[in-house]
Amino acid sequence: MIEQLILAMPMAIVVIGAFVLMLLSSSKRFNLDRLNLVAVFFLLISFIMQYMTLGDHSSRFLFENIFGDSFILDDFATIFDMMFTAGAILTLLINNDYFKSRNYFNGEYFALILFSVFGMMMLSHAHELVTAFIALEIASLSVYTLVGYHKDNKVSSEAMMKYMVLGSMTGAFFMLGTALIYGAVGSTSLSEIAIYISGTELADMTLLIVGSSLIMVTIMFKIGAVPFHSWIVDVYHGAPYPITMFMASTFKIAIFAISLRLYLVNFESINHFWTEILQAITILTLLGGSWLAISQKLVKRMLAGSSIVHSGYLLIAISSIGLGSEVAAPAIMFYLIAYFLSSVGAFGILSFIASQSQKQMRYEDFKGFATRRPYMAIMMSIFMLSLAGFPSTIGFLGKFYIFTSAIESGQILLAGLGILTAFISVYYYFKLIAMMYFYESDTPQKKCPFDVSTTLIVMMALLIIWGGIGTSLIPFVPGADGFIDIAKQAISSLR
Amino acid sequence: MMENILSNIIFLPLLMAIVLGIFRAPLKILKAGAMFSAIVTLLLVALLIYNFEPNGGMQFTKILPWIQNYGISYYVGVDYLSLVILILISLLMPPLYIYMYHERRKGYWYNMMLLQTGVTGAVLSLDLVLFYLFWETMLLPIFVMIGKYGNGMHQYNSMKIVLMTILGSMSMLFSILYLGYIYFDATGVWSFALNDLTTLMLNAKTSIWLTAGFLLAFAIKIPLVGFHTWMAPAYGSAPTPAVVIMSAIMAKLGIYGIWRFGYGLFENTLSYYAPTVITLALVGLLYYAIRAITEDNLRKMFAYSSGSHLSLIALGIFLTNVYAWSGSLYFIATHAIASAGMFIMIGLTYKRFKTVKISNLGGIAQKAPKFTFFFAFFALSIAGLPGTGGFVAELLIIVGAFKANFWIGVLTATTMLSAMLYIFWMLQRTLFGSSNNSCEYPDLSVRELIMLVPLLVLLLATGIAPSLFMPIFEPGLNTSLQEVLSSIGDLK
Repeated sequence: MIEQLILAMPMAIVVIGAFVLMLLSSSKRFNLDRLNLVAVFFLLISFIMQYMTLGDHSSRFLFENIFGDSFILDDFATIFDMMFTAGAILTLLINNDYFKSRNYFNGEYFALILFSVFGMMMLSHAHELVTAFIALEIASLSVYTLVGYHKDNKVSSEAMMKYMVLGSMTGAFFMLGTALIYGAVGSTSLSEIAIYISGTELADMTLLIVGSSLIMVTIMFKIGAVPFHSWIVDVYHGAPYPITMFMASTFKIAIFAISLRLYLVNFESINHFWTEILQAITILTLLGGSWLAISQKLVKRMLAGSSIVHSGYLLIAISSIGLGSEVAAPAIMFYLIAYFLSSVGAFGILSFIASQSQKQMRYEDFKGFATRRPYMAIMMSIFMLSLAGFPSTIGFLGKFYIFTSAIESGQILLAGLGILTAFISVYYYFKLIAMMYFYESDTPQKKCPFDVSTTLIVMMALLIIWGGIGTSLIPFVPGADGFIDIAKQAISSLR
Repeated sequence: MMENILSNIIFLPLLMAIVLGIFRAPLKILKAGAMFSAIVTLLLVALLIYNFEPNGGMQFTKILPWIQNYGISYYVGVDYLSLVILILISLLMPPLYIYMYHERRKGYWYNMMLLQTGVTGAVLSLDLVLFYLFWETMLLPIFVMIGKYGNGMHQYNSMKIVLMTILGSMSMLFSILYLGYIYFDATGVWSFALNDLTTLMLNAKTSIWLTAGFLLAFAIKIPLVGFHTWMAPAYGSAPTPAVVIMSAIMAKLGIYGIWRFGYGLFENTLSYYAPTVITLALVGLLYYAIRAITEDNLRKMFAYSSGSHLSLIALGIFLTNVYAWSGSLYFIATHAIASAGMFIMIGLTYKRFKTVKISNLGGIAQKAPKFTFFFAFFALSIAGLPGTGGFVAELLIIVGAFKANFWIGVLTATTMLSAMLYIFWMLQRTLFGSSNNSCEYPDLSVRELIMLVPLLVLLLATGIAPSLFMPIFEPGLNTSLQEVLSSIGDLK
């Protein structure tokens, strides 16, 4: 029992922290700085505890005698949990200045972030469809509120409404799908479903396939795959910068946690059924996302559009899994880590700049940025290069693994299309670098502040470079190989 | 020492740049550091040549594990072919740093050091992924230097060169990935090392597509005619050191790529593409020459001239006979030195007269004799003046072309004539004639002489005594030519 409690601690600490923050937020003695520190404190403890349990290769169920097999504990979930908590910690620390520069932030904000992290962690541990749905809704509801946090701002409110109405509607698809699957299997537990699938002919599983396709609709909506993408640019634009950063880097990864678990383990024997649909969605996502990203004038909207393209790359690897590629699953994990690092960095810099001005950031506003803030410009260039998949960054290796897996599974044209969209992405990422470096600025160089947020951004940039070129020659420091080993470890713990 | 010498040569400039950058070195120390790294690299290369074994094949190899999960390793080595370009890049850096002596913008110096590492790494790497890494990385300093320090529509032109080059690199990346997969399919382990991949037996159809991926990248880099739209704008906008590197080294890397990876991996399929490439090269010879005749901007004129000569080299390596091959290799070296000298002279012209338009120049010969001498010498050595290395090289390629086919030979020979035409006409209009520019014409200073004289001596030495240099490269060249010929012969 005690052992089970300890294993449940990382999740429990986050939700306790959320309640504590809710209570503290009404107190006058706790200003934003202190609340931020309290939130980071809880997340950090949770992160450290997850790190301690990592490497425990056996998967087991949490409180089996109470919850049945609703919650599973394995390295896969733990590694995702670490990314969520790390993402939340980085969001909170990097944006500390931003919180203080806008008057609409108050204490509940931190509680909401923690609640949504709790929802995501639950999602990555969920081993039962209703649990997964509840977890998804906990995370989503918190994020809906966060998106509309600036309630006097029309754009922000519009984004919130758009996201909430569409998101709730697609949430209903998840529910309907679960109901259909329950109708077929008689249970919503993933292990029961897996047993049912392995014992039934494909022709007799119509209900289950319809049900799981409906669940796929929800997943596709949340990651912004193209027929379900119309919300993504407006919502990312309307949300305050810290929230955009949180959604793009952390929330999106959470959706991949559940979809990988479903696709890799429980629906494994029939996942070739979706291959054609996935391929069609992938093609649309890559092309549509590229088009959206090219046509934007605001940097934030460009990053939103390009995040659709990154979902497209991940979808390539997902359909490669269905076609029997061995290397595709670790490739997805690796790409998620790479994308996480790069997008946290890029959005971090954006909100760092935004904390000092009220302007919308168009491409033109970056003219002469390199002379004003040379170090920030170097960091931003590194993040852009990594997102564009330029070699010597971790983003290149991510794309390398994804495209290799596509070729291995025989999807040569899809790999070609992926490389083509990677080429297109060079245009809109390099455009920002060009803006920063190729124009002179009238304003003189500003002193670079040396504080927590800049230090973290520098650390992200170094990690990206090291993840791209790092050798395993230096003892105790994992190189580029170390990241793919982590990814492999996560995937192997699933089975 | 000798074991790690290649890694030292590759990474010394980069390390120097990082150290100087971290300590935010003041301008004087930055300049000294850059010069120091260039000279030490040059000395290391000299040491390498001294220990180089002409019959030894691939030498000084070093393999370190990098991404073991995919069989990617840090794998470098040097043979006769990479040695030529390695010597060129390390020879050209010190004169360029002397040229940049008055340059106050720090970013310029950092970019040059990064560029040296990128180019050297690309030439020496024998793992395809490592090669791709350096191949892309060397583009970044060029991108920044054209965009930030260039002139004219430099922002647009720098974006254009980057996008076009990356389009080629991406197609090459696809081929690299596919090759790696074929190796994995055949053997069960991943590898991207060149000598592993050469053992693969590819079927004809796959091979044709994969070769196309590589060729596109190299054709854009050279550039063959039809893939050249980035060239003249980029050369026109780029600052002088960047132009020198682009024309003297980076364009040659396209040739190097065909030589190393084309003939290393797809020697049989290249004969499928040979008619296309030879036609493109012949069209290029004439087209670029005509554009050079009509061009008024000196930088663009020599951009076209460089395109014309590189088409000649590309033609040479697709005619697989010993004259054409040794001519091409020799021309890589001599054209690099001559065009470096020429572009430096154009840079000096711009510094003095603030224009590179031929129609605005004239009458230099009366006021600046030393300047005129060097200007004319480098221009004529580009045209293939007897006594300079370019003459020997062009003659060899033309002989090789006649050996392959009479008409190809005739068309190839026109390159010498047309080059004479545009060079002499340009010299007449810029150096002689009446001066319509009343400002002061300072002659070459001692500093400028120091950087130009070595280039001049080298060009004369390569022209008068080719036998000094050929023994180092000839055996390796013959062996690899025999290998290529025998494997093509097997096919027939």
